Formats: sequence, structure tokens, C-alpha cells
Amino acid sequence: MPDNAVCFPEADALLEIAGLSVSLGRNSILENISFKVARGSIHALIGPNGAGKTTLIRSILGQMPHRGTIMFRFTGNGRIGYVPQFLDFDHSIPLTVSDFIKLLLQDYPLFLAGRKRNMEKVEEIISVTECLHLKDRMMGGLSGGEFRRVLLAQALFPIPELLLLDEPASNMDEVSTSQFEQLLKKLQKRHGLSILMVGHDIRRILALADHVTAVNRRVVFDGKPDILQNPARLAEIFGLGFPDLFASCKAEG
Amino acid sequence: MELLYDIIGNCAQAGWLPSIFQHTFMIRGFLAAMLIGPLLGAMGTVVITKKLAFFTQTIGNAAMSGVAIGLLLGEPVDGTYAGLYGFCLIVALIMTFIKNRSRLSNDTIIGVVLAQVLGIGIILMILVTSQFNIHQVEAILFGSLITLNDMDLITLFAAALSAGIIFTITYNRVMLSSFNPVLSRSRGLNPVFLEYVFVALMTTIVVASLKLIGALLVLVLIVVPAAAAQNLACNLRQFVWISIMLSTISTTVGLLLSGLLPVPSGAVIVLVSSLLFYGSLVVRVAVKGKRA
Repeated sequence: MPDNAVCFPEADALLEIAGLSVSLGRNSILENISFKVARGSIHALIGPNGAGKTTLIRSILGQMPHRGTIMFRFTGNGRIGYVPQFLDFDHSIPLTVSDFIKLLLQDYPLFLAGRKRNMEKVEEIISVTECLHLKDRMMGGLSGGEFRRVLLAQALFPIPELLLLDEPASNMDEVSTSQFEQLLKKLQKRHGLSILMVGHDIRRILALADHVTAVNRRVVFDGKPDILQNPARLAEIFGLGFPDLFASCKAEG
Repeated sequence: MELLYDIIGNCAQAGWLPSIFQHTFMIRGFLAAMLIGPLLGAMGTVVITKKLAFFTQTIGNAAMSGVAIGLLLGEPVDGTYAGLYGFCLIVALIMTFIKNRSRLSNDTIIGVVLAQVLGIGIILMILVTSQFNIHQVEAILFGSLITLNDMDLITLFAAALSAGIIFTITYNRVMLSSFNPVLSRSRGLNPVFLEYVFVALMTTIVVASLKLIGALLVLVLIVVPAAAAQNLACNLRQFVWISIMLSTISTTVGLLLSGLLPVPSGAVIVLVSSLLFYGSLVVRVAVKGKRA
């Protein structure tokens, strides 16, 4: 673990990753990753493209063979909610928001069930992320922000102990991203969620996260996000690329 | 079976049904059309969602080799079931295996295998036609109502019943797993297993419908009713039911027309489904215009 890591009591860590390594054939994707996610916190996982962030998320979900340990200290239902970056489907398919939630909700074949079957439950689920008005809209016709809210709604059914978000800001404009972040914070407070989110926009991380782990195959930084406000320190940690990103956000700001 | 044919034949003689139902081959064809239509329609919606349309065509092309292999293995000329089902299932499962184990795109895998089964099929057909009647192979390629026999109908009924039950049970999970494998695994599903299940079901139904529709035309009947339903439906439930309805209309009306015209059943069925598709486009444009 890097020397600048912020430590907290072991009991407060909902997720503890120690010495995690992932290889695909001869290629090493992740090497000796170690960090903790505090209970009830928003923890950001950042890094450049190809740094292994999504592989790390898949390892946490138990979908990737790895070495090392991933320890959960769940005290409730032990559920992990997952918000994917995208859904791979033809956008002209008549898949409504209600249909999508029903596919998750019921074993009974969707085409045999009446339209109103489970509708109350669907409404309850999508109300959590304030998208009840979208229930009859086509998934392929949603804006980036609306789409992300629906994906968040499915992940929150039932309310998980750990919520994983893969690049939640992708395909969203500035206003939608800001609204989504406010919603995420509100839900985190209301339900006491522990959130681990993948991102690469340092400006957004600064506004949202309680803790940041930066990876580029290895852990290159693990600590409070405010250190990222210092461009010199940022350049020292990340090398080229990230300072440019920071400079651009400063210019905009 | 004979009793059923007699009852329907008598109804036709009495004038309660069209006179073409006095012929046994027409009754067989109609029963086959009633079984195949709904299943192809329902499966077509998942084929479109999973972008597997040309996968279906590869299975159709593999049927050429399947028939030839069946004949070479010594199966009767009017019932090469082991060769057909066996070879087509093997091709479908190998393609799915390669897709899941390699970085190749679905399109590339289909391109490679489509060419291979076509090559093998041509070589085997040349070997076979020197010993057997080429018209049997033609029936597989273009569909032939006359060659449909009782055994085909019984096989089709068994295939349709089992595929229909498994399709209904797995529908929600197959659809969900096609959207995002990581999400579906996080929901406790096994997307790879579900893909194998669906591919096996699709292969079974495609092969079962070859004699009626033909290997070269089956793709159209899988894709076109579902595409037409896509133009008309407002949700997934409507998508499935409209596709079932259009596909059943295509198979039954097409079959009745092929009884009146001297052309292969598959070609007329495809023509009817194409007309329905263009009709759906007109309806869609009209509805949009009204809303605007």
C-alpha cells in the first residue's frame, strides 16, 4: 500500500482488497492491488484507459479469476448492486423502461404476463431514482442522464450494501452529470450506501468522492481527493496526461 | 394421423374448408405451418435483439451438408434427421464456442463458418448426387410441400413443443443476458449457458422448418415478421405477439397460396411475409404522420 494511504479502522472497511493480481495469458492486467472501501463512503477508482479499472470491478463482482484476496464485511443482505457503463442492444427494439425492470423482476415470461402485472413494483423501483415519468418510454430513446438513472434504479433493487458504478458520467452532458451526482449523494445518505465508482474526470471526482484510489495496473495513489487539487502533486502521481486534464478543467472553471 | 387427415379431408369435401384440404400433403403442410409460424415469430424477436440474423443463415447453409452427411451415413432419403440435426447443432455450438473463447467479432466468425459449411456442403452434394436424387436436396434448399411426410410432422411437433416450452421458461433471462453479460452475471444469471440454450433452440426450429420453407429462405421468416413487429410494437410484449401473428399469417397464407400456384412453398411464404413487412412500414409512417 502506498505510504500516503489513508487508513481507517478495519471494522469500518466494507471492502478490503489485498494483493490482487489479474493476468490474461502472459499479459499482466493488475498487479498487487490493495485498498479498502470505507462503509458508507463514496470511493472513486480512477486511472487512464486500459488501466484495469473495469477488470478490477469484474474481480470484485466475482467474475474474473484473480490472485490475492477480496474481503467483504457485510452486515446486511450482502448484495452488490452494479450499474454498467452501457447496454448492448439495438436502440430500435421496443424495449420500454418498464419492460427492462420487469425482465429483472419476474421469472414469469414477460410476453405472457399482462401489462399491469408487477407494475406497482416497477413504479416503486424507478421512483427511487426519480424516473417514474419514464416508465413507458423506450430505452433506446432515453438521454444519457435518463438512461443512467434507469440503470441506477435496477442496481438499487433491492437496496445493496455495496454499489458499483462503471463510468457513470459517460455519455452525459454537464447538467445531467451534475444532477446524477446530486441524486447519488442523496441516495447514499438516505440508504447509507457504500459506493465504489469508476471515473476518469478528476474535476467530478473532487466534487463527489470521499476517497480516491488511482490505478494504472498498480495502485499509484490512495487517499483523500483534495490532494488532486495540486497540479504539481498530480503530475508527480500520474505522470503526463492527467495534469493536462486538470489544466483543462481549471481553464473552464 | 390418418384419422386426422380423414376428418379434415371430409370437412373439405363437405365444403366447410377450402377444397385444397382434400389433399393429404396440404393438410400436413398446413399443420406444419401452424406449428412453425408462431415459433419462428417468437424466436425472431430474440434473434433481432441478440443480432443473430446471419447466424441463422449459417445454420440454414449447414443444412446442405447435414442432408448429405445423413445420406452418406445411410439414413433414408426422405428422413436424414440425424445428419441434419446433428451437423447443424454441432456447427451452431462450435460457432458459439468460438465466439465466447476468441476475440473475433460475431460477423467474422459467421463469415468464416458460413463459407466453410457452404464449401463442405457443395463437395458432399457432388458426392451424394452421383448416388441419390438431387430433388431431395433441392427440397431442403427451397422447401417443398410435396416431400413433407408424417415423420417430418411428428419430428416437427416434438421439436416445436420442446423448443416452445424451453423458450418460454428462459425468455426473460435470455433477453436480459443479451444486454450486458457483466450485469446479468451480477444478477445471478449465466449468459454463456443461456446463449448456448438459445442457439440450440433456434437451430432445432430452423432445421425443423427447412422442408417447408427451405434453407435459403428460412432467414427471411426469422427476421422479417420480427422486423415488421418492430415497426408496430410499443413494448416487448406487443413485439413478441405481433411477430407471432405476422409469422403465422405468412406461413399459413403462403402455404395456401402455394397449394394454388405451381411454385415452392418457401418462396410464397417469404413473399407474404415481405408484403406484411412493407405494410407495417406504411402503418408506421401513417401513425407517425397522424401524431405529428
